[in-house]
Amino acid sequence: MVSTVNMAVDLGGIKMRNPINTASGTFGFGWQLEGFYDVSMLGAITTKGTSAVPWDGNPAPRMCEVTSGIMNTIGLANPGVAGIVEKYGAYLEDLEARGCRVIMQAAGHSIEEYVRAVELLEELAPFASGIELNISCPNIARGGKLVGGTPEDAAEVVRAVRPLVKRPLLVKMAPVRVPEIAKACEDAGADALSLINTINAMSIDIHTRRSRLSKPTGGMSGPAIHPIAVRMVWEAAQAVDIPINGIGGIATGADAAEMILAGATSVTIGTQNLPDPLAGPRILDELEQWAVEQGVSDINELVGAFEC
Amino acid sequence: MSAEKHDMPRGNVGIHDFAVISNEVVAPGINRLEISSHVSWGLQPGQFMNFEVPGDKTHILRIPLSFSSSDLVNSHVVIYYAVVGEGTERLSKMQPGDVSTVVGPCGNGWRLPEKGCKRALLVAGGIGFPPVAAAAGMLARAHIGFDVAIGVRNITGLVQSQIEELRKFERIDTDIVVATDDGSIGIHGFASHAAEQLLEKHTYDCVYACGPQVMLASIARLSEDHGLPCQVSMESMMGCGFGACGACNIPLKAGGYASCCMDGPVFDAEEVAW
Repeated sequence: MVSTVNMAVDLGGIKMRNPINTASGTFGFGWQLEGFYDVSMLGAITTKGTSAVPWDGNPAPRMCEVTSGIMNTIGLANPGVAGIVEKYGAYLEDLEARGCRVIMQAAGHSIEEYVRAVELLEELAPFASGIELNISCPNIARGGKLVGGTPEDAAEVVRAVRPLVKRPLLVKMAPVRVPEIAKACEDAGADALSLINTINAMSIDIHTRRSRLSKPTGGMSGPAIHPIAVRMVWEAAQAVDIPINGIGGIATGADAAEMILAGATSVTIGTQNLPDPLAGPRILDELEQWAVEQGVSDINELVGAFEC
Repeated sequence: MSAEKHDMPRGNVGIHDFAVISNEVVAPGINRLEISSHVSWGLQPGQFMNFEVPGDKTHILRIPLSFSSSDLVNSHVVIYYAVVGEGTERLSKMQPGDVSTVVGPCGNGWRLPEKGCKRALLVAGGIGFPPVAAAAGMLARAHIGFDVAIGVRNITGLVQSQIEELRKFERIDTDIVVATDDGSIGIHGFASHAAEQLLEKHTYDCVYACGPQVMLASIARLSEDHGLPCQVSMESMMGCGFGACGACNIPLKAGGYASCCMDGPVFDAEEVAW
């Protein structure tokens, strides 16, 4: 389609050629999708969460299917910042050169681990346009409660890494206490917010009476959570002035359009990548068609254009 | 893993259309599916495909299935699957002429044995037999002899189907031993008992196995006892099938996990933490 609509967006300083981003943990390191299409056509990709040292992740089963969605307990298995840069650094640098923004996601189990992961990303992955701080991890030092489960805790970790990050810093929030935590992250120096992360959920095999995952609970994602995500993006958009990266069950251009209307500057495709590796280019195309139908010359005119 | 270096060829994984040629019940709960698809062009023995099965939008994941043979001339692929859940139930309803898509070829298939290998032992447990049939094809094309140990629950059309698939590649000296859990045909016992019988009779240089986890563990032990290199085709709950989500994992003896879809599904038995 020859576009007459400007699709470029600015996500807190990350200049994307279009609003399409991919969710951490559903897109490998981008390279895994190159067999399906030229990944550089996307606005950005977000890598799998990376920790300072390698994490093995959780035992099997790590995923199960639920109605209109999936649940996972991957446990952020990753080879650590150094391992990732060694394996994928050259590819990711090339992806940036081809015009697709690379957002490296940082994960940790304590403030110290986040700080270390971010320091390593600054040192070893200077090619990436942005860093996304995943504050939905369990804080081991605090009995496994969410690192960013309260406005105070969220602000603490964002403040700790903010001075270390020399590029745009995104904060990926857990789907809890959204307006307050969004505001706390903004005040602590976040350049943009990514929401929502998976919703903590549970699925029991009634025959064995065991969890269908290797842990009692897991993170739910997919189309089933989309309306919840739209609501939370809308709430966050009203609470802050920084841009929002909308995530949650986006499977079609219409889903992406809803996110934009609710206030998202960029839209991130997650679970849909798994069964539908061509979701990125398809949703981009559908979103562009919608913008044309809306009669705008710039997709940014539709950000937060929801009328209530 | 060298295959993950970005400058390495990504293989030819892609989305392909497929059309159902036939989809028939061969035994209670077991179907033989034949499709026509260009996925066949790059498919190597031991690799798998991830099927989109239409009819229920509330189930979003694809269904990963291995294949027993593919025919490059007609672009046909033959798959056997067990109807075990909602997805395979839906698949069993697909009629000749129905179309959908398949992601593939996925994963790393069987590797040819080391040079000098004269004879291989193949072990197939239950619905694990399609990749084993594909291994038989690979060995036959490489002019390597093989025998097959088959384990099934009882006498059903599944055994007949397995023998039919193997007949495509069978050599004059191929020895097939069947074991059934209830003794209704062949020896009374498991695939490992059939394998033990073959190991007493013949000399092997390597082992290829696919089947339930417990069977693979016993075949891994048996191979180790006989000092034979053993490749196993493994299963794990899968999300994408192409390394994007990290859901499927196989525990390794060295610690940590390997990705079933990217590093496998074929592994060296000695690498796996059984």
